[in-house]
Amino acid sequence: MEENERIIEQNEKEEEEEEEVLVQQQQEVWSWGAGTEGQLGTGKLQDEHNPQLLNSLSSFAGPIPFLSCGGAHVIALTPGGRVLTWGRGTSGQLGHGEMVNVLQPKPVESLEGFVITHVSAGWNHSGFVSDKGYLFTCGDGSFGQLGHGDCTSRFSPQKVSYFELRHVTQIACGMRHSVVLVKDHLGQQVHGFGFGKRGQLGISNERLQSVSLPQTSLGLNDVKIVSVYANGDHSAALCAEGQLYTWGRGFGGASDVHIPQCVTTCLSFSTAALGWNHALLLTGDGEAFMLGDYGHGVLSDPQMTISRKKESDKDAVWRIPGLNGLKVRQIAAGAEHSAVVTGKSSSRILFENDGSVLTWGWGEHGQLGLGDTADQTGPHVVSFDKLIAPQHLVGQVYCGSGFTYAIRTPGTNSNV
Amino acid sequence: MSYDDVEIEDMEWNEELQAFTYPCPCGDLFQITREELRLGEEIARCPSCSLYITVIYNTEDFADSNRKNKNIEPPKRQPVAVA
Repeated sequence: MEENERIIEQNEKEEEEEEEVLVQQQQEVWSWGAGTEGQLGTGKLQDEHNPQLLNSLSSFAGPIPFLSCGGAHVIALTPGGRVLTWGRGTSGQLGHGEMVNVLQPKPVESLEGFVITHVSAGWNHSGFVSDKGYLFTCGDGSFGQLGHGDCTSRFSPQKVSYFELRHVTQIACGMRHSVVLVKDHLGQQVHGFGFGKRGQLGISNERLQSVSLPQTSLGLNDVKIVSVYANGDHSAALCAEGQLYTWGRGFGGASDVHIPQCVTTCLSFSTAALGWNHALLLTGDGEAFMLGDYGHGVLSDPQMTISRKKESDKDAVWRIPGLNGLKVRQIAAGAEHSAVVTGKSSSRILFENDGSVLTWGWGEHGQLGLGDTADQTGPHVVSFDKLIAPQHLVGQVYCGSGFTYAIRTPGTNSNV
Repeated sequence: MSYDDVEIEDMEWNEELQAFTYPCPCGDLFQITREELRLGEEIARCPSCSLYITVIYNTEDFADSNRKNKNIEPPKRQPVAVA
């Protein structure tokens, strides 16, 4: 009996694995929004107001487990730890050894000998972390954001020698700064380098311009950090207990924060996403919150103003209106737009509305994927061309400054 | 409505565009030329979208900048002139 159960379990496990392989083989990557630098990977230099299916990624081995979208470029990881980049390359941020835009995914050859496990695309620079804990950076270095001790730009990824003897696990690239998470036998630290005027390096109470060598961010010594984030002039770190610390430019008109500060102790978060003036926060049970300007999403229509809810604490987080009780499994933030995937991440059972992408915010370049250039103050469902793959569900969504990517896999909820 | 207020020292001089620039959330750059600054213009526009920023600077710093050398670096990169 027990043996039988074990066999059944084994079979189920194998079936699940097979299913997973199948799912991965049929992965679809879609993009929309600002596209004039080639960041949509469509091979065209134009904005797209509706999701476009990319065929250019299918020629590379296996499904894409992770994407990072920057100012106008994209970095993709392959299952084997290879790196593909495309989009704006005029500062060297694509790492191909030259300063040109690339309209379709192209492997970064100089990283071929390494297994890359984490990547981040900033405004015009890029960071890559290997399984051995090495950090590589390339792109615009004008503010020291590459961490090499100078303000020189690099067109190929170069190892950051400051971390030579340490084990880097994550990098997050913002507009002109970088945040790095180090974890090894010497302990855990968050480091910052690049532009620091708004406090985004978290290294000093004093107002400073920029630093070109990594320095330890303060105030995070007693908490176990699991993730770091950066975008615009913002930085953030999430600790294992679910508290989010932020530093840099203040949200919602609040003053700048120079030393990492806990957002709220009332809620426990599982992930965060930073924009240029807002942040999205997700709790473990799928509740999405927003931090920052209540008027988010009315940029291109100056006449339109949202009646601002009076908050005593300007930095207070508030529940995203318009989700109508829908659970959220993933969040992403562009400079001035937001995207979420519905469904509960911990649940294997999917419901009718799960696996949809909802977007809102600034829409002037079609980055909301709703077929027009209108702004939206609340979440709206993105429609994908049903003729191409009616059963597919969105697994992940990623936002660049003015564009959006969604990865879809075959649906499993059709018979639920 | 201005998207943001940006100090001139935080803008970058772009040789190719012959303008001071600052990142625009659309992915392009807000731009303002030296000549515009000389004339007292304080709005830097993005060529790709409707957004613009307000540039904070001292008009006197640019009042006499109509010099032959148009390639000079932004003020922050220049050595301090001793009177």
